[in-house]
Amino acid sequence: MGFLTVLKKTKQKEKEMRLLMLGLDNAGKTTILKRFNGEDITEISPTLGFNIKTLEHRGFKLNIWDVGGQKSLRSYWRNYFESTDGLIWVVDSADKRRLEDCAHELHELLQEERLAGATLLVFANKQDIDGALKPEDIKEVLELDKIKTHHWYIIKCSAVTGDNLVEGMDWVVNDISARIFTLD
Amino acid sequence: MNAVSNGQNENMACSSVNMANDTGSSRKENSIVTEEELLKKPYITPEDVLGLNHITKNYLCSPDANVYEIEFLRFKIRDIDSNTVLFEIAKPSNSTGSGSTLSSQNKPESHESQSDTNLNNNDSQTNNIPKDPNTGRFVRYQFTPKFLNLKNIGATITFSIGNFEINNFRMIEKHYFRDSVHLKTFDFNFGYCIPNSINTCEHIYVFPNLSKTLTQDMIDNPFLTKSDSFYFINNKLFMHNKAEYSYNGV
Repeated sequence: MGFLTVLKKTKQKEKEMRLLMLGLDNAGKTTILKRFNGEDITEISPTLGFNIKTLEHRGFKLNIWDVGGQKSLRSYWRNYFESTDGLIWVVDSADKRRLEDCAHELHELLQEERLAGATLLVFANKQDIDGALKPEDIKEVLELDKIKTHHWYIIKCSAVTGDNLVEGMDWVVNDISARIFTLD
Repeated sequence: MNAVSNGQNENMACSSVNMANDTGSSRKENSIVTEEELLKKPYITPEDVLGLNHITKNYLCSPDANVYEIEFLRFKIRDIDSNTVLFEIAKPSNSTGSGSTLSSQNKPESHESQSDTNLNNNDSQTNNIPKDPNTGRFVRYQFTPKFLNLKNIGATITFSIGNFEINNFRMIEKHYFRDSVHLKTFDFNFGYCIPNSINTCEHIYVFPNLSKTLTQDMIDNPFLTKSDSFYFINNKLFMHNKAEYSYNGV
C-alpha cells in the first residue's frame, strides 16, 4: 500500500511534459498554440518573448512553451532547452524562400545536448495556402531522414483551419509517454 | 466532506513544475510558519510562503522591492468550454506608474457579459494615480454566482521584462476563503525571461470542486475570498499582490 502510493505519486508528477515550440518567425507557432486551445486567432502579433500554456491533455499535464522566432530572439532559445521532452518545429510551408534557413536552424537545434532526448514533431503548417509545399518536400529540404538522434515525425497541418493539430500533439504525447512513462 | 478537503482537491490549477499541494504537504506538517516570523526575515523564499496556511494580513515585501522592472500588462480569464472571455483588464500602454499591477482599488469587476467594455473603463481609471502606496497591488474582482459553476478555466497573465534578463522567475498564488480555507494554489516557474520581452502564460485548469455549502458561503460573503500572489526572482520575494473576490454580482 505504502509502496503503491509512492509509486502513484511519482507517476503523477512524471505525467507532466514540457514541450518547446520553435521555428522561424511567422511560422505560425502562436496561432497553433491558440488554435489548439480553442482561442480566438484573429489578432496575433509577433511574439516578443514567450507564450506558455499549461493544460491537461489525455491525462497528461502539458507545459507548452512557444518562444518568438525572430532572428534577434533565436539566440535566447537555448535558455528554454532544459528539461524539454518534446520539440515542436513549426514550418511555414508556403515560405519557400526561407526553407533553407529553416533547415539550418533546425539542425543546429538537434545538435544541442540539452535537447538530446527530445522527441521531434515537425508541423508543416499553412497547408490552407495555395502552393504550400507538401510534407514530403519539406522532409527533403529539412533532411529529416538523416536524423538518427531523435524520434521524429512530420505532419501537415493548418493552424487556421485547425487541421491535424490534435493529431500532431497526440503523436508527440504518445512518443514521449512511450519513452518516459514505462510504468504505464 | 468538509470544505477544506474539497478545497484541496487535486485538479488544481497548477500545471507547473510542482503540484502545490504535493510540495506543500510534507513541509506543512513540519514547519508551518507564521506571518510574524516571516516578516522578520531579510527576504522571503518560495518555501516560506508555501509553508503558510492562511491568507496574509500584511504585504511580505515593500512596494519598492520590485527593482526588476517587471510589469503586468494584462490579465484575462476565459471559460474554456464556451471560449467566452469572462474578465479582462489591461494596463494602458502609456502608463508611467511604478505600480506592478494592472488596476487600482475599487476597480472592478466584471461578469460574464461585461468584459469587453470593462477594458476601456479600466484604462481610464488607471490614470488616476492614487495616494495609497498599496493601491497598485490590491484589486477587487466582482463576479456573478455563475462563475463558481464553471468547469474549465483559462487564466492568462501578460507581463513585460525590463532591460535586464531574468534567470529564475517564479510565481505562487494562493487562494483562501475566510482566511484559512484553502481553495487552490498555483505554483509556476517561468524560468528565464528575455530582456525587454513581453510574455504570456495561460493556465488552463479544472475549477476546484467546491461543496455547495462552501459555494453558497462564498456568494453570501463578498470579498472574504482572497488571494495572495507572490513573485520571486532567484527565490527572493520581490512582489506581493493581493486580491479579493465577490460572487454576488448580477
